[in-house]
Amino acid sequence: MKSKNGGQIRIIEAFLAVLIVFSSFAISANLTVTQTTRNHDNLASIGLQTLVQLDSDGSLGKYIDDEDWSTLRNSINLVLPAGTAFNLTVYNGQMQQINTEVVSNGGFSSQDITFVEYVCASQGSNFHCYVIHLYLGVAA
Amino acid sequence: MRQFRRKFRANSSGQLLIVAALMIAILISSTTIYVYELSRETNNVDSYPVSDVILAVKQSSKNTMISSLANISKGGEKATLEVNLNNLSHVLGNLHQLGMYNLCFTVVNDSRYDSGVCLSWNTSGSGVSSTCANFTLNVQGIAANIAVNYTVNATTSVTINGSYTRLEGEEKLVNLTCQVLNEEEPALFKNITLYYENYGSWIQVNSSNNLSIVDYGNGTYLLSFTVSLSSDVPVSTHVYDLRDVFVQANTTCIEG
Repeated sequence: MKSKNGGQIRIIEAFLAVLIVFSSFAISANLTVTQTTRNHDNLASIGLQTLVQLDSDGSLGKYIDDEDWSTLRNSINLVLPAGTAFNLTVYNGQMQQINTEVVSNGGFSSQDITFVEYVCASQGSNFHCYVIHLYLGVAA
Repeated sequence: MRQFRRKFRANSSGQLLIVAALMIAILISSTTIYVYELSRETNNVDSYPVSDVILAVKQSSKNTMISSLANISKGGEKATLEVNLNNLSHVLGNLHQLGMYNLCFTVVNDSRYDSGVCLSWNTSGSGVSSTCANFTLNVQGIAANIAVNYTVNATTSVTINGSYTRLEGEEKLVNLTCQVLNEEEPALFKNITLYYENYGSWIQVNSSNNLSIVDYGNGTYLLSFTVSLSSDVPVSTHVYDLRDVFVQANTTCIEG
């Protein structure tokens, strides 16, 4: 009888050990979720830096002036990290949409979408000021 | 004694298992927390700081200055600079993503700049087209209120110097070195037109003058052409840089 009980206690102890190890994994997983939220902020920063980079030599304003939406799409796609989906809308100073085509590289895989607002002043001799709304997320 | 030891070992092996599991769990948790803390420190630096927004506004200010300079250098009014900057300030004032933006500016007025504009195209071999303004950006956000002062200067300058060698009769070979700068950095031109003065009128240098241009790729160009003139050769260069800013420089080439 005593040896039978001893066997059951061993099994319970083994279960306890497994429970302890797996609970540590569960805690670690929760920490990773928190980090994903922080990466969300990073994506916004990357989006803003992408627009600043394209604007540094006046390319961004030139593409919009020329309504060259396909080149604008390709340029942003090139600068953004792989696996990032975007959707861009261009407004004039009166917040009227200018882009006649969708400037996007595909759909978003989740509802976790970042928004970046940027003012682009064109370098051309005829001054234009645009407001750019850039939505970023993980590509589907 | 041996029996007691064996019995003790057999009885306590379960507790040892739990202690080992606890140690493994602590090891996993502490490693994860360590990695997380490290990455959090990096993220704190990268996560959408206001400095990024300030950088973006500075970029927009710079582009506005360049656009205004391109317009004014091609004959536009000097007031264009203030009009364009007011436009930028108005558009920025309508943004509210990270707070309220207020961009104030003062165009520079001194011995060199008039209403923030300097167009100095003289006959000593150098020409400067420039705009300059001081800015104050106030960002009133939820987290903090930030005020930043900065100056933006957009300048295109060109420097020419040259000489000529006599060929036959009055025919001369003129060699001209031309250097283009944007904000004191070497820059390329989009278009250049050369003129020489003959009896008070400026005549464009073209292929009939055997015009050749050597681009050194660092903002320096070697221009050569032939011309029939009895005196020294007054030369004028009209340059458009890649930003479409116009600048002009004049010099007189003497025999080298």
